[in-house]
Amino acid sequence: MTDRTHLLLGGRPVARKFGLFNWLGLATFYRREMARGFKIWKITLAAPAIRAVLFASVFGLAIDQSTVTMGGLPFMAFLVPGLIAVAALERSFESAAFSIVYDKTEGIFGDLAVLPLTPGEIVLGFAGATVTGSLMVSTVVWIALLPFDARWPAEPLALVFFVAVGSLMIGLFSQISGLWARKWDYINSVQTFVFLPFVFFSGVFFALDALPVAIQPYARLNPVFYIVDGIRFGVSGQAEVSPWLGGGVCLGVMLFFWVVSYRLFAIGYRMKS
Amino acid sequence: MTEATERQVIDADRVHRHADMTPQVRQFGSVNWRGLWTLYHREVKRFFKVFTQTLAAPVVTTLLFYTIFIIALQNRVGTVGSAPFPVFLAPGLVMMTILQNSFANTSSSMMTSKIQGNIVDVLMPPITPLEMLCGFLGGGITRGIIVGLSATLAMSFLVEFPFHNVGAILFFALTASAMMALLGMIGGIWAEKFDHMAAITNFVVVPLSFLSGTFYSISRLPEIWQVVAKFNPFFYAIDGLRYGFIGQGDAPFWLGAMVMISVNLVLFLVVHRMLVTGYKLKS
Repeated sequence: MTDRTHLLLGGRPVARKFGLFNWLGLATFYRREMARGFKIWKITLAAPAIRAVLFASVFGLAIDQSTVTMGGLPFMAFLVPGLIAVAALERSFESAAFSIVYDKTEGIFGDLAVLPLTPGEIVLGFAGATVTGSLMVSTVVWIALLPFDARWPAEPLALVFFVAVGSLMIGLFSQISGLWARKWDYINSVQTFVFLPFVFFSGVFFALDALPVAIQPYARLNPVFYIVDGIRFGVSGQAEVSPWLGGGVCLGVMLFFWVVSYRLFAIGYRMKS
Repeated sequence: MTEATERQVIDADRVHRHADMTPQVRQFGSVNWRGLWTLYHREVKRFFKVFTQTLAAPVVTTLLFYTIFIIALQNRVGTVGSAPFPVFLAPGLVMMTILQNSFANTSSSMMTSKIQGNIVDVLMPPITPLEMLCGFLGGGITRGIIVGLSATLAMSFLVEFPFHNVGAILFFALTASAMMALLGMIGGIWAEKFDHMAAITNFVVVPLSFLSGTFYSISRLPEIWQVVAKFNPFFYAIDGLRYGFIGQGDAPFWLGAMVMISVNLVLFLVVHRMLVTGYKLKS
């Protein structure tokens, strides 16, 4: 208010002052990103739940559930955390990248560059919306899968931690892919040819010891493996690697993507041209 | 005809028109072959232009599905009927990708035309509703067959396809693509927004193509669902194609064939009726 009075009286525009953070701008940006996801909740919340139920039914019908085990757990107990992870990670990948590419095709992506938001705030806004969306979708999927394997998470804190850090990792990767993509084609290709293979071979549907021995060591190089394994630890209390190691790897990769994404926004990569 | 002679013919035509001063109505035979071919050509070009999304992506996805199911279940399922699990699974996946892609082709074409408003470009030209139907249908079938063929080729590096009865394979691949292409047209005509279309795909097409026996024999279902499956054309499509490949199915071949033919006939008449009346297309 004082700003405006001053403007009227003095007739001279005065630059708006921000503290260390433009909180209002950040909150507005975050709200916009959340609203975008919510507006199409049938696609962002209901469809992942349906897909998870489909996978669980299909695997459940193909095997003899009373006897089949995987990674030391009954098959369904093994599969359910995997499906929660897939839903969370898919949602994370589709969050920032889809927003960015949509804005690019509409020709309004440049608007981000003129907002009074620092690159750090933009990255944080996207990341915040990604994590919130992904926590919501994991909850919905968890509830939808209760008929298949009803259990309260063994390590709720670890579960939330791994869902959050895993979504951040993929969400930041999604920002980078979105910046790189010029058209929908690009982002769809990244999804089908990079993201999906990484997720499908991360131990969502099978324990790594089910893989051919020759490939097993390489499977551990896949960072998504540590997310899925961590989420499984959170749900069932059992993991293939120590959750501390898993958590460390996830945090490390996430930080790396954070730095890259921050840098790309800072230089305005494929953004200011 | 060279360009020069073609020009001469056109000129001659013009001279003729000027001579008696009345424009001539273009004459068609019973079928406007040129129009039909043009529409079909456009429908095929539409998906070829983005072949990474429409051909490569479905094949990669099918391969991924195949691999994860094999790794997860090979030692845990053993055989289904008399077929080893990989041999049982592969034809199911081929049919799944055929079903999803032929549906996607006509539905997205209809939908995009409606949203962008260029649907008039197929309503205005001198083609009958029947010709319009056949043009779209042909595009959908072509996509289904090409994707199915590519998926079969790709998977044949991983599993030995028996090819029990090639006639049955072709028959079910064709009728299933046609069925889904027609359903895609109905969906595309009915839906008013991309949201509606996404809902149909996510809540109807994908579940039906997953649950109708792609991954397991229908005999594993609870009794009541087995009865339901007998009324599900997706089941006959998957089962029929699998019979064609491995010579083993849950339903008799002739029953599957009858169902596919009658379903196609009914859908064909429905779509034709929609196009004739202009339901949601002409206002």
